[in-house]
Amino acid sequence: MDRYSFSLTTFAPNGKLLQIEHALAAVGNGSTSVGIKAANGVVIATEKKAGSSLIDVSSLEHMTKICDSIGMVYSGMGPDFRVLVSSARKMAQRYIQTYKEDPPVRILVKELASIMQEFTQSGGVRPFGVSLLLAGVDERGPNLYQVDPSGSYFPWKATAIGKNMVNSKTFLEKRFNGDMELEDAVHTAILTLKEGIEGQLTETSIDIGVISTVSAAQAAGEKPAFKRLTTAEIKDYLSNIA
Amino acid sequence: MSSRAANAGYDRHITIFSPDGKLFQVEYAFKAISNAGLTSVGVRGQDSVVIATQKKVPDKLIDASTVTRVFQITPTIGCVMTGLDPDGRNQVIRARQEAAEFKYKYGYSITPDLLAKRMAGINQVYTQKAFMRPLGVSMIIIGWDDERGPQLYKTDPAGHFSGYRATAAGAKHQEAFNYLEKKLKGDAPAS
Repeated sequence: MDRYSFSLTTFAPNGKLLQIEHALAAVGNGSTSVGIKAANGVVIATEKKAGSSLIDVSSLEHMTKICDSIGMVYSGMGPDFRVLVSSARKMAQRYIQTYKEDPPVRILVKELASIMQEFTQSGGVRPFGVSLLLAGVDERGPNLYQVDPSGSYFPWKATAIGKNMVNSKTFLEKRFNGDMELEDAVHTAILTLKEGIEGQLTETSIDIGVISTVSAAQAAGEKPAFKRLTTAEIKDYLSNIA
Repeated sequence: MSSRAANAGYDRHITIFSPDGKLFQVEYAFKAISNAGLTSVGVRGQDSVVIATQKKVPDKLIDASTVTRVFQITPTIGCVMTGLDPDGRNQVIRARQEAAEFKYKYGYSITPDLLAKRMAGINQVYTQKAFMRPLGVSMIIIGWDDERGPQLYKTDPAGHFSGYRATAAGAKHQEAFNYLEKKLKGDAPAS
C-alpha cells in the first residue's frame, strides 16, 4: 500500500488551503529570482547561493533549458524543482514529437501548472515548494510566466519571486518600461538582484538566462534559442555596473 | 484536516509543510545523521578522489572485518554512507540496482553525477509523498568519469546533491567543512 487515499491538503474553516500557504512560505525562504520581458526578448536571473566554497559550482543547475525556445528558473526547494524540470522537458518533447515544433510557452505553462495543482489535491502528497519563472519565445513573441505551488500561473512584464520579491518588484516597477531592449533588461535584472543579494554580486553568484525573439536573433544571424550566459559574459555585464 | 493537522503537530510526523515553509521530517532526518555520532569525509584531487570515515565497533564480540560503511556501487563508483546504517544499506542496494538498470538500458556505465542525481531524486520523492519517510543517511559518492576524471558528490535526505572539491557528512561535518574550506582556499582541486 504505497498510496494514501486522502488528500493532505484540505480546507481550513476560513476557506484557506494552508499547505499551499506554507508552500509559498518555503518559496519565500528561497533565493530571489527575477524575470523581465523586453521588446525583443526575455531575461531570467537568479541568485546562486554557494553554501560553501567547497561546492563545485559547475555541478549546480539552476537555470535550465526546457527546449530550444524555453528556459526556466525557480525560487524555493531545489529538489522539487528538479522534478518539474523533468516533467517540463518530457512534455516539451512529447509536443515536439506530435507537432514537429517547440510548444508555445503558455501551453507548457498550463501543463506544468496542472501538475502542480494535482499535488495540492491528490492523496498522500504535499504541494511543490517552488515558484517557477518561465521565459520563452513563440509565435506571440517574448513570454514571461510565473507558476506558483497552487498551480496558478501569471503572465508578467517583469516580476520577482523568492526572498526579496517585494522590494525587487517595487524596484522593477520604477525601472521597467515596455520599449526596453534585451540588453537593458539584462542590466536591469542584475541591478534588481544586486538590491537584495546576500553576499557578493559576482559572475559565479548569479545565473542569467536569455532568449531573444525571432526577428532580433535572425538579424544577428542566430537561431532563437534560450541560453544560459557564461561566467565571462556575466562578468562583462557586471563591469558596466558602478 | 491538514490545517488542523499542521497545527496539531502532524507536520512533525509526515512530510507536509509547517507554517513557515519547512519540512520537519526532513530536518529530523538530518538530526538522525548527526546522532549516529560518526563523521565521513571526501576529498577530490587532480587525478584521484578519496573517502575516509570513522569506524566504531560497538562490541568486542563483533567481527570487526565485517563492519563497514564503505560500499562499491559499480567497478568505477563507490560510496560511504553516514547516518542510520540500515537506511544506508537500503540506499546502497537501490544505487546498485539503478546503476545496473542504467547499464542495461543505455549500454554504458553510469557516471557518478548521474547516479548522484538519481539517488537525490529518489530522496526527493520521500520528502513529497507521505507513504515513506525520508532516509536518515547522507551518501558521499566517489567515482571516475571517463570524460571528467575524478568526481565527488554528496546527496542528503532533502534531495539536494552537489559536486564537491571536498565534503563531509555526519556528526562533525561542520567542523570538517570549516577545516577543509581553509585548507582548500581558492579554486584549485587538492593536489
